[in-house]
This record gives sequence, structure tokens and C-alpha cells, in this order.
Amino acid sequence: MAFPLQRPGPIPTRREFLGRLGAGFGSVALAQLLGAERLLGGEAGSGARPSPHPARAKRVIQLFMNGGASQMDLFDHKPALFRHAGEAFDPGKGVRVEAPTSEPGKVLKPPFEFRQHGQSGRWVSSVLPHLSRCVDDLAFLMAMQSRTNVHGPGSYLINTGFLLPGFPCLGAWTSYALGRESDNLPAFVVLPDAKGLPYNGRGNFSSGFLPVSFQGTVIQSRAADASGSGPGGSNGFLLSDLSAPPSARYITPASDQDGLAVLQGLNRRHQEAHPTDSRLESRIQAYELAARMHLSAPEVFALEGETEATRRLYGLDNAVTENFGRRCLLARRLVERGVRFVQVWSGAGGPTGNWDNHANIVKELPPMCAATDQPIAALLTDLRARGLLEDTLVLWNTEFGRMPFAQSSEGRDHNGGTFVGWMAGAGVRPGVAHGESDEWSWKAAHDITTTYDFHATVLHLLGLDHERLTFRHNGADRRLTDVHGEVIRQVLA
Amino acid sequence: MTSSWSRTAALGAALCLGVATQAAPPDAAHWAYQPLGFPRPPTVPGRPVGNPIDAFIQARILPAGLPRAPEAPARTQLRRLSYDLVGLPPRPEELDAFESACAVDPSVAYAREVERLLASPRHGERWARHWMDAAHFAETHGHDQDRIRSNAWPYRDWLIQAFNADMPYTRFVQAQVAGDVLFPEDPFATVALGFIAAGPWDESSLRDIREDTLDRQIGRYLDRDDMLATVMSVFTSSTVHCARCHDHKFDPIPQRDYYALQAVFSGVERANRVFDPDPDVHRRRQELLHRRRQLDRGDSNLLHAATTRAAVDAWRVRNVTAPVEWQELATQTHIPTATGVLTRQADGSFLASGTTPERDTYTVLAPAPSGRVTAIQLELLPDASLPFQGPGRQSLNGNLHLSEFRVLAHPPDGGAPRVVALVNPTADFNQEGWTIAHALDGDEKTAWGIHPEEGKAHRALFELKEACEFPPGTTIAFVLHQLHGGGHLIGRFRLTTTGAPGPHRAIPAEFSAWAHREPSSWTPEQWTRLAGHVLREDLRRELAALPTPSLVYAAAADFDPDGSLRPSLNPRPIHVLNRGEITQPRDEVGPGALSCVAALPARYRVPDGAEEGARRALLAGWLVSPDNPLVWRSIVNRVWHHHFGRGLVDTPNDFGRMGSAPTHPELLDWLAVWFRDEARGSLKALHRLIVTSATYRQSVRTTRSGAGDPDPDNRLLAHRSPIRLDAECVRDAMLLASGRLDFRMGGPGDMQFDLQPGIHVTPRVDYTRFDLDSAAGGRRSVYRFLFRTLPDPFMDALDCPAGDQLTAVRNNSVTVQQALALWNNALVARQAEHLASRLETEPGTVESRIGRAVVLTLGRPAASEELRELVAYARRHGLAAGCRLLFNANEFVFVD
Repeated sequence: MAFPLQRPGPIPTRREFLGRLGAGFGSVALAQLLGAERLLGGEAGSGARPSPHPARAKRVIQLFMNGGASQMDLFDHKPALFRHAGEAFDPGKGVRVEAPTSEPGKVLKPPFEFRQHGQSGRWVSSVLPHLSRCVDDLAFLMAMQSRTNVHGPGSYLINTGFLLPGFPCLGAWTSYALGRESDNLPAFVVLPDAKGLPYNGRGNFSSGFLPVSFQGTVIQSRAADASGSGPGGSNGFLLSDLSAPPSARYITPASDQDGLAVLQGLNRRHQEAHPTDSRLESRIQAYELAARMHLSAPEVFALEGETEATRRLYGLDNAVTENFGRRCLLARRLVERGVRFVQVWSGAGGPTGNWDNHANIVKELPPMCAATDQPIAALLTDLRARGLLEDTLVLWNTEFGRMPFAQSSEGRDHNGGTFVGWMAGAGVRPGVAHGESDEWSWKAAHDITTTYDFHATVLHLLGLDHERLTFRHNGADRRLTDVHGEVIRQVLA
Repeated sequence: MTSSWSRTAALGAALCLGVATQAAPPDAAHWAYQPLGFPRPPTVPGRPVGNPIDAFIQARILPAGLPRAPEAPARTQLRRLSYDLVGLPPRPEELDAFESACAVDPSVAYAREVERLLASPRHGERWARHWMDAAHFAETHGHDQDRIRSNAWPYRDWLIQAFNADMPYTRFVQAQVAGDVLFPEDPFATVALGFIAAGPWDESSLRDIREDTLDRQIGRYLDRDDMLATVMSVFTSSTVHCARCHDHKFDPIPQRDYYALQAVFSGVERANRVFDPDPDVHRRRQELLHRRRQLDRGDSNLLHAATTRAAVDAWRVRNVTAPVEWQELATQTHIPTATGVLTRQADGSFLASGTTPERDTYTVLAPAPSGRVTAIQLELLPDASLPFQGPGRQSLNGNLHLSEFRVLAHPPDGGAPRVVALVNPTADFNQEGWTIAHALDGDEKTAWGIHPEEGKAHRALFELKEACEFPPGTTIAFVLHQLHGGGHLIGRFRLTTTGAPGPHRAIPAEFSAWAHREPSSWTPEQWTRLAGHVLREDLRRELAALPTPSLVYAAAADFDPDGSLRPSLNPRPIHVLNRGEITQPRDEVGPGALSCVAALPARYRVPDGAEEGARRALLAGWLVSPDNPLVWRSIVNRVWHHHFGRGLVDTPNDFGRMGSAPTHPELLDWLAVWFRDEARGSLKALHRLIVTSATYRQSVRTTRSGAGDPDPDNRLLAHRSPIRLDAECVRDAMLLASGRLDFRMGGPGDMQFDLQPGIHVTPRVDYTRFDLDSAAGGRRSVYRFLFRTLPDPFMDALDCPAGDQLTAVRNNSVTVQQALALWNNALVARQAEHLASRLETEPGTVESRIGRAVVLTLGRPAASEELRELVAYARRHGLAAGCRLLFNANEFVFVD
């Protein structure tokens, strides 16, 4: 169902269009519509100011492991856990040990073999064979720290900088600050797990009190067997309201095409009678942009246009890796076409099928690794091959880590005390590991990275000062980093 | 290189939500804290004083040299007024009639419309939705366990009723903060407490994780933070929540004030709270619940009251001095079971022997006793043959588990057996978590047990729901399911019945040693225990006799425990937290409010042992005091905001120094005082005053302003600014035009999505699989079920808030998502079809139908050029396609 681009006259460029408008009531709306490019120099009600330093990254792909990926079973190698396996967990006299959902159990040793990899000699366990070959490209944050051991607040904190709902997430702040690079696609796209949304649902991709245009546009992916074209998408991908529902049979490509021309005629006449309200002009433009998005989306979704080698690289030929692989590949296609921020989720909310491995590490963790390991390595390889890793930042995150002691006998409870994340690509110093947890991987010990420090560092790489990127809301100039945050310079190239 | 916070703070310990900029010292002379003045409306020589609003507005416009806009055309005025007061456009007939009436006497015609719309039930629906934004109301918890709140909607209905009934603002405020305490005679004042509970709730932190964790404590502080921020932002337009970690950086709000407000709410949780629509029942139940809480607190006045002594005497007569006689059953048989053997003993009991099976069901058959039966007694008896003397057969301790106890009456004619309903089960001892109630709960996984009181006799009593006399020849079957496993079986037991009038309650074993002695010989401790038991038993009976109560999700100090979410008997102690850190508590603080309102006391004295509601009642009194300038300025500014699209202060939730200053401070004060004193808090009077002003009725500007426009943002209101309809108005207007709008009011929210169980707590919600033509699809948008983390994408695209932040001012965005939603969403596509079918059922031509569609959507006759284009389009693509265009028109979604 084509969405028409015909209009009475030539489409003005964005700059011409901006130039036509005076300041006034509608300029805010216009800035929102166009992704708040800094052409308007902060008139858009924002405290954001031009960056004091050049951006190293132009765009971000964040891979998010929902549920709390177990740091000491993947990256944070702790011989003490092997030595003291099965003993009571005793971090020292008088130190209180608590776990959020269970009675602390005995020390649980990682059930996987650890080896050092690459020139950097990073420890990676045997469940991530593909990623272990990429460690020299990555900068590890080995002592990240949360403020909570609970999923809801924890997911909000690492996504939005606050423990409570209603604040804009990292992707929203990024698109608010930098705008879109493409007229045809949203600035911020979210690719949730095919099994469902993560903890906090859409709250993790919210624009909070920022205008709605900065919230994550969700592209759902259907299960592998349901691929093919359908309403609002193709190739198994679905973007809501991209096309009219098939039930509305009276809507055809021709009716859309003719209809937009008539509608824009109506709107122009109305606008001529209301020359002071630029929102009306913005709305006319919004329909043009919607039409462009409608046309460009199927092309973006057309993974069949990729070479067989690329498809194999991402594991599209394997049922285990197929879903996450398709979404990683789509993420690359999206950033190639100008999307600023893509978030790819592994795992939905709920007790199983994600990284929240309370019951049994040895049974629950390997399938999550198997589904994501090859696609993530492929994404890094592919971005590098295309020269995109130069100015694309890749992030691997989770909301918190897990406990060094057992829950029941073979699982692990939540641990906000320390966890691991990594960064790669634009502006990142490859092959480093920053920070260290204690001997148990229980609490962050040295060179800690709080969620605020992490956000400050990401914004820094995007050329933004986290203390100056603000938005006034209910009496406060809100920041992604609240009143905290320091850039972790050790991971910068 | 790490932040100083991370070096010093313990894990997970901080609560700080600070602000980002450097501050100058707070200013106590700031306008918002000053007492209300009552400035006289300015006068212009030679002009009569009309509406005082116009006097204040014109006094600023004239010196600025701005031309005043003329009065808007009649149709425009009615469309604007109708959306503002009822959230719907006028019908074409109403527009025609109004236009004609204006030709005769415009001011009479306009006044008549104002009254009609203010009296419409639709008015409350419109203004309730504004209030729901302010309160961040939604019907799920939010967070990772986004559970449905099935009982949130009564608060929404209360709001609609309150606005329709023009409840005085004082009462409106009081009810939402402390209606339960201040208006005990009004059951719906309790419903108003839904306000405090309207926001999100972190179920994981507050219900599911362990009680002894820091995360739980953080969760509680953050939950109260939301409550106090809601109350103070909405009623006082202050940002006290910015004073959690330190004194407010911009406003004269010390950190202690913040924690004093935490202490106001430290006795309540968010929970399902009972109320009774019948005021008499409501009062009775609240008295009983109050007495139960007194008992829980060990209130000595109650324990030694004369009524309590009388109740204890009556109990002794019933249980000790003249105990009920229990009749043994006549010849009993039993149906042999599993592998065990039951042997009848001389005392009428049965003794089990043989191999102990894992589980078993005993069935005892006996002829029905003659005469009335009111209760059944099950005695468990110790026996030397049982492990640890029994009375159970569990080999390690002699315990047992009675999963279900059922009684059936087999009629003499051999017909189908009838279930004999049992109620009020009691036992002399209940194992913790294994109470006798489990034997009647219909759940075979739960059971009654007696651990660790094995080796002793026990008994359980069951009342018949209705006393009955069985026809001669009836056989009674007593069925004892013992399905827990592990050999938790009864070793020796006896069944007896009585016909004596009730109540029949088992005496707790702990009383048996001394309850037969004279009360004067009891220790004070014994008196407290027995009197407490008797009063509790009476309370249970009296509560059970009341009709089933209604529930509202609200602030509650008394509610059924849910997991580890339990009511706190007394308000929890609140400490000032140094830097907002849970690990750094400083002095304890009592309840209070803002100290910057000089005319009012900022700390409350609450007597020891007072119910927590006393604290909320004091805050409510502080809020509605005539001397609280914040509250009166706040509400008139909110109402102004909704009529003009911008408040006189354009930050309605922040009158502090980081907020905006009022554009017309004298008008703001005049309105506040007028509303308080003249209108006596009547919101309808305030609407009437505003919408009948010339300022409200003027037209939008139709010419481009010059470069030197002194007021490009129209802050002086020399003309109207167009307003984009909000999401609810867009949806409701489409439904009205399509003929699908259903005016049924109230009740549970309409789920306009397909609901499936989720992987965990949060369900799966699919808005695309909703049948738009179903009954749930036609009601006004205020009745939509509101899902916090899974909001309706269509409404979301039109800036409808999801209920996770207090929303004083909605965003008013113009986005690509919004264009896609209006152009492609199934809701719009379907309403366009309905509108077309509606038009096609009436006689006419394509021209007349398109003309009618324009009137129905845009509220005016079609102009010739657009009519020609639309008709040509409808001829090619159908009438529905034409209607879809109209729903997408700028003119449809904007109001002049």
C-alpha cells in the first residue's frame, strides 16, 4: 500500500522550510517534528547546548541482555569461587549478606571453563566462543554498579538514570540531543525479543517528559516461521500503523495517493487562514515524512537483499541464532540508513527464557549465550568490514549482575553490587578492561562504573556533555545522569 | 575515575533525585508564598466594568498597543466551548440553533449554552480526565510486574461525579487526602483516597523481595515519595520532592519539611480498601475495623470496657459454666480406606492402625441425628498406639493434615446427596499457616495441622450455614480428605453434633487450664488474651454478617495482606536521610507540611496511639485553609490552563523559582480570592466566569503578525491561540461523528486490547487484535482501561500520558508517529467506515453526504472548492475514504 509523495509543488528542503517560519508558538512543535536539530539553537525549550568536544560516535547500537547477565559465569573470572565452592559465603566478619528473593546459599562455582583470549588476555568462559575471539576490540567495564537488586527499578536505572518510571531513556536523550540523520526513519528504534517486551515493558524505551517523537519506535519481529509480508511491515518485522489495516479494504494505494493530495489541499487552505500557528505547517510536513517512512521501511526490512555470506555470518541459517541474528542485521541496516540509536533486546520479562537465571545457571545461561554469541560477533565483524565501526558505538549491557552464592542449589539471585558491560567501536579504546570487583565478584571494588558514569561516557562519545544536556520538568532541570556521573576516560581511545 | 558517590555510598543505598544546576539562595519573598491580595479590577474611564477578567487582561493589552481580536464567529465559539466544557464537539443541530439564537440575542444564547454544557453529565467526564492526568492515574502497577488493578476505577467514577455535582473545592481536596477520616458518613469519601494511590507501585520491591533488605526500605521511601509529590504538586504547585537529599536549592523548602511529609503518609500503603456504598453499612464496618485495629494495638481502654466485660461473661456462660452438650452419633460405619484400618472404640471414636498410607480419605456414615443440628465437632484424640501419642499418624512427630472436611446428607429415598454447607470453622489450636479455615476452603493443597502441639487432644468446630432438621432415614456422610502426603493422617478421632443455638467456637487450648476459674483470679495477661479473643470472635461474626463490601484501590492502613505487603499497625518511623541515603538515617521527624507558608503551623502534634489518618486529616486542613495561598492560586491556574491552553503561570505544578512567574499576577490573585470567597470553591462558577469573558470568546488571529510584534507568544491574550485537541477528544469526536459513541457511564474500564496471560505477571496486551465494534469499543475515552507500561499506541501518539509522571500540561506534539496513527490506525479507518455507512443510510447524493460529513467533523458547511475536491475523491475511492481524510484534517484536530 503505497503512501503518496505527490504534492502540488516541490517539497521544500528542511532548511528552506525552517527559514520560512518565524519564531513563535509553533517553533517547539516544529523542532520536535524534525528531531530537534540544533539549527534552532536551543529554542526548543531545551537546555542543551552545543557540545564542547567533537563527537566520536554518530550512532549507537545497544545490545541489552534482559534479566541480569551473570558476570562471574561469563567474564569476571574469580578463582576464589572455584576454591571455596560449596562453602558458606563469608565475605568477612560482621558483613551483612542479603539477597533480594532468597536466603543466601553456599558459594556456587561457575559451571563453565574459563580461558584467556586475545592479546589483551581477557578471561571469557566457554559459553561465548564467538565473542571470545573479539575481545581485543572491546573495552570491558568490569565493575559496574547499580543501586538496586530489583528488576523494575534496575532496568529503569540503566535505561533512564532513575529508579522510578517516567524518565527519558538513553536512546530518547540521544535523539533529543542529536536529532535524526534521516528523514525517512525514526531516530530511535527498539527491537524487542520476539518472545515479548522486557521488564517494564515500553517504560524502558520511553521519552518520559520529553516530547513523544523521541521515544523508541518499536519494531516487533515475528517468529521465524511467520516471516513474509504483512500489515505494517515485511520480512517478519512489524512497525505499528505504518500501513492501514487489511480489514479496511477501501484503503488502496491509489486512495492513499490521491487522498494525501486532497488532504494537503484542505490543510493548506486551513493553514492560510491561520498563518501564525506553525504547528499547522508542521503537521502538513509530518504527513510527507510519514509517506517517506512508509516507502523506505520495506527496503530496510529486506534482509533477503543481503549476501548469503552475510546471512550465514549472523546465523540466519540456524534456528538457535536466527531471531537475534536477524535483529542484529536489521540494526546494522538501520544505522546505515541514518537511525541514531538502535536497542536490540535479548530476553523478555518473566522467570525464564532470559538472563534472569535464578533456578539453574548451567541449564538456563547457555541457551541465552548460544542465541546471541554468534550474531553479536557477526555484528562487530560486519560493522568493521563496512567501516561503520569507526563512528558507530556498540554497547553490551544488562541491568545488574548475579550473586556469587547459590539460590536454591544451582541458580543465582540478583546482584546490583557488581556486573559487567562492554563497549566497542567509535572512540572506544579497544582491548582494555576497566575496574575490578572483589575476590567473589560480589561487590564492585576498584574503579567502579556507576550507571551514571556509564551514561556520561556514552554521551561523551556522542559529543555531549551529560551535565549540560538537560530538560526542565516539574521544577527541575532533569539530566540523564541526575546529579552524578563522570566520564570513564580509561575506555576512551 | 569514579564518582564520589560510588566511593562513599553502600550499594543500592541512595535515593537522591536532585536537580542539575547551581542555585542562588532560596527566596522566602517569592511571589507564590505571599498572602493572597485581592486587587480591584482596573477600570478604564468611560467603559463599564464588565467581567473582571477582561478588565485585568485589557489593562495590559492597551498599553502594549495591541489590537484586540473581535469576538469569534458563533460556530467557532460553540465548538470551542463545547470541547472545553464537555470534551465533545456540538452536534450540527446545536450549531444551527445556536447560530439562529445568536441573531436574536447573542449573550442570552451563549449563556444558555454555557448552562446546558455545565449541567451535562459529559462535563464531569471531561474534567475528570484532566484530573487523572494531574494525579497520574492508571489501572496497572507499572514497573516490571505491571499487574492489573481491578479496583482502581471507582476513583475515576468518583471524580466524574464530583465534577458533575460541583463539589466545593475544599471538600474535593479534603476527600482525596483524608476523606475516610473527615467524612466518615460518606462512603465515597473513602473512594476519593484513590488519588493518593493513583501512581505506579513497585510490586517486586514492595511485595515480593525479602522484608529484611535495603531494597525493601528504599522501595518504601520511594513509594511515599510518589504519594507526597502527588499531593503537593497537584494541590500546592510546589516541588517539595526536590528536597529529598538536601534543602531545596531554589525554593524555601528545607529537607526536614520533605521528611515531615513522608511522615504524613508513613501509615498507608497502596492496596484494595473496603467501602460500602450503603452509608449505614459503611459506618458500621468502619467502626468494627477501627475496633479491630484497637485490639491489634492492645488498646487497654477497649480491653477493660464494660462492654468487653459483658462479652467475656457471655462467653464463659457459653463455653465454661453451661457448655454445649455434644451428642454422639448413633451406630456409625465407615468406608474402609487406602491401606489403613479404622476401628471403632468404646468412646465412640475411631482409631487408625495398619500400614500408614501417604494420603487417605476417611468417610464415616451415620444416621442423621434427630432434631435440629447447628454444629459439628471433630475431636482428635491421643492414643498410645500412635507415634508420639498422635493424634496424627505422621511417623516423625504425630502431626496430621486435614485438607478438606465435607458433609453430605443422603436422603432416605436414595436420591442424590445434598452438600451440608459449613461455615465459621474454629479449632483449639492452629499450626502456623495451617489453620482450620483451610479445611473448608475447597483447596486440597491447603490443610489444618497441629504442629508442634502433638501428643494432646484437639478439637475443631464447624457451624452449619443453616441449622437443619434432617428427615428421618437420612444418612450423613462425613468425609475427611487428608491429601497432603507424607503420612499426615488422623490417628484417632470422634465426630459429634449439637442442636444448641450458636455461636459455636472452639476454645483455644491456651485458655483451657484457667478459663473455668473466676476472671478475678486471672492475671492481667490472661485477661488481655481472653478478652482479645472474645472481642475478635465477636468482630469476626459481626463483620461476616455485613454484606460483601466494595473495593477501591486507594491509600489504606487496613487491608488484607498480600504476600509480604502487610498493613502497618502504626505509622512507620521516618528519619531524615542524610543526602537521601537509606544507610544514613538522622533524627526521626513527625508529620508536618511546608514551613514557608508563614500563616500556618508547619508541624503537627498527633497524640500517641492515634490512627495514621489523623496525620492526613491535619495535612488536609493545612491545604484547604483560607490562609494557604498556594492552594487557591494553584487551582484557578489549572482551570485557566485548560481553557486557554496555557496557565497564567505556565508551569502549573511549579510555582517555585524554577517555574514561571505569572503573566498577570493581579488577575491570578483576584481569581483565587474570588473563587475561595465569592464562588465558595464552586468550579462550575469559575468555568462560567472564565468562558463568559470577552477574553475567552475572542477569535484567533487570521493575519500574520509583523516582525515587530511585541507579543509573539500571545502571553497578553490579545487573541485566542488555536488548541490541538487531546487524544481523548480526537477519539471521542470520531466516535460521535461515526454514530458509535456510547454514553453509558461508569464501571470498570473498557479493555480496548486483546488480553492474554504473560510469561510472568505482566500480561500480553495487543491493541491490534481488539474488535473495535465490540461493546468495549464505543464508550468515551475516559473509560478506557489504562495500562501503564503498555499504553495504547494510538493515544500515545497523541500525547496521552501513560500515568508514570504527574502531568499538569500535556505535550502537544506534532510528529510523524501521530500522522501515521491518524492515517493508518484501525480505529480511524473503522470510524470512517461507520460514518460513511451512517451517511449512506440517509437519502442523498455524494455531494449532500460529503457536505454532511464536513459539518459532522469540522462543524461548518463545506466551502465550494473543498466540496468539489472531496466529492471527486469520494466518487473515485468511496465515501469512507473521504471521511478518513476529514478525520486527518488539521481543522478536525485543532480548535480555534
